[in-house]
Amino acid sequence: MTQTDDKPAVQITSLNKWYGAFHVLKEVNLTIPSGSRFVICGPSGSGKSTLIRCLNGLEAYQQGTVTLGTIRLGDNARETALARRQTGMVFQSFNLFPHLTVLSNCTLALRRVPSMPRKEAESLARHFLEKVRIPEQADKYPAQLSGGQQQRVAIARALCMNPRLMLFDEPTSALDPEMVKEVLDVMTGLAHDGMTMICVTHEMGFAREVADQVVFMDQGSIVEQASPSAFFATPNHPRARSFLNTLLH
Amino acid sequence: MQFDVAFALSTVPTILGAIGMTLLVAAVSCVGASAIGFGLELIRRSGGLGGLFVRFLIDFIRATPVLVWLYCLYFILPFYGIRLGALATGMIGLSLYYSGYLAEVFKAGIDAIPNGQAEAARALGIGRMDITIFVIAPQMLRNIAAPMGNYFVSILKATPYLAVLAVPEMLGRAFDIASETYRYAEPLTVAGLIFLGLALLISHAIKRLEIRLLGPTAR
Repeated sequence: MTQTDDKPAVQITSLNKWYGAFHVLKEVNLTIPSGSRFVICGPSGSGKSTLIRCLNGLEAYQQGTVTLGTIRLGDNARETALARRQTGMVFQSFNLFPHLTVLSNCTLALRRVPSMPRKEAESLARHFLEKVRIPEQADKYPAQLSGGQQQRVAIARALCMNPRLMLFDEPTSALDPEMVKEVLDVMTGLAHDGMTMICVTHEMGFAREVADQVVFMDQGSIVEQASPSAFFATPNHPRARSFLNTLLH
Repeated sequence: MQFDVAFALSTVPTILGAIGMTLLVAAVSCVGASAIGFGLELIRRSGGLGGLFVRFLIDFIRATPVLVWLYCLYFILPFYGIRLGALATGMIGLSLYYSGYLAEVFKAGIDAIPNGQAEAARALGIGRMDITIFVIAPQMLRNIAAPMGNYFVSILKATPYLAVLAVPEMLGRAFDIASETYRYAEPLTVAGLIFLGLALLISHAIKRLEIRLLGPTAR
């Protein structure tokens, strides 16, 4: 993996997005250094999911720029596709392909995008299923797995594409409390491996333990950005304070 | 005039002799209608001017009788120098006509797939065409096996329309016997019963397929 460490993994400049007349993202600026873990939190409707969906082209935006490594999204179709391929995404609702086995979920993109031979793709997929600790489920279908297992498959599926950056959009919000930990453990493991991660999550324990920076959003703007220790001890913005109060009690 | 069972039985070999033609027309039309219908639905979804045209085309197809299509293709196209045989005209006519209906079925089948499926595939970097083939189409088929089977049975039952073009399928054969013997009840009953048997077979096969498709993959 060639990584230019001097370039930030993600550089967001003056990003603005509207849904019709509704201004969802307002002048968002954010720099995410390579190898760092950012947690984005905030009340629902604050634009945090929209923001990370802008980072891999799932949402269009009207103003501003998003640069991933050296590639500015939208400048050049081929480079944008490349940047997207190097960005893994994990969704709240897992979005596994229900008609494919766990193994095929992981190999589909490998077989189609870099046209990897089946054997090679399968051994790579098994390696990552091992990493998320469910190698024994490879031949099952998603509906036969628990939510936590499905989300771990989704993480393995994204890792198969060798991403430089992983985006997590509320990965544990649809899970039973008992399954949250198994997914967070896998994410923590990834963080220790040095993966650049941006996580939209309300898991404040995870944020405290793993994040380098916590970003707090409200009404489409970033209102506070701080290290977890500073953010949890003394949140500056009143909206962040009340948010933390409701979350921690 | 009483129903003559012995005479009815004597017509069976002649009418059954045309079952191959009926099945050929039905099979080709099912495949043709599915392929064209899927293509139409993809163009409709892509929007733009093409999508608008296809939307109009599908409504137009569904608002006209199938016989009009067959007559137009057979009698009017030759004026423009396009001369197709009766069999080809029949199969093209049924394919075009039912493609309009199947496009609607495909639309429902695709609409029922959560957006997250295509999003997850896009996030993995999979191309548009591959998403359609490997992610959307298989899930669409699972969603629509039953209504699609209904249209396949409809296509089978529409093959007798080709009698107007003198394609030697089963009902045409039955009418030939009737006009030679002036006995209608027996050959038409025999043809009807064979159609009934075929329709039941197809429905059964579709049901089996549906169970297999859903299997362990049900959401």
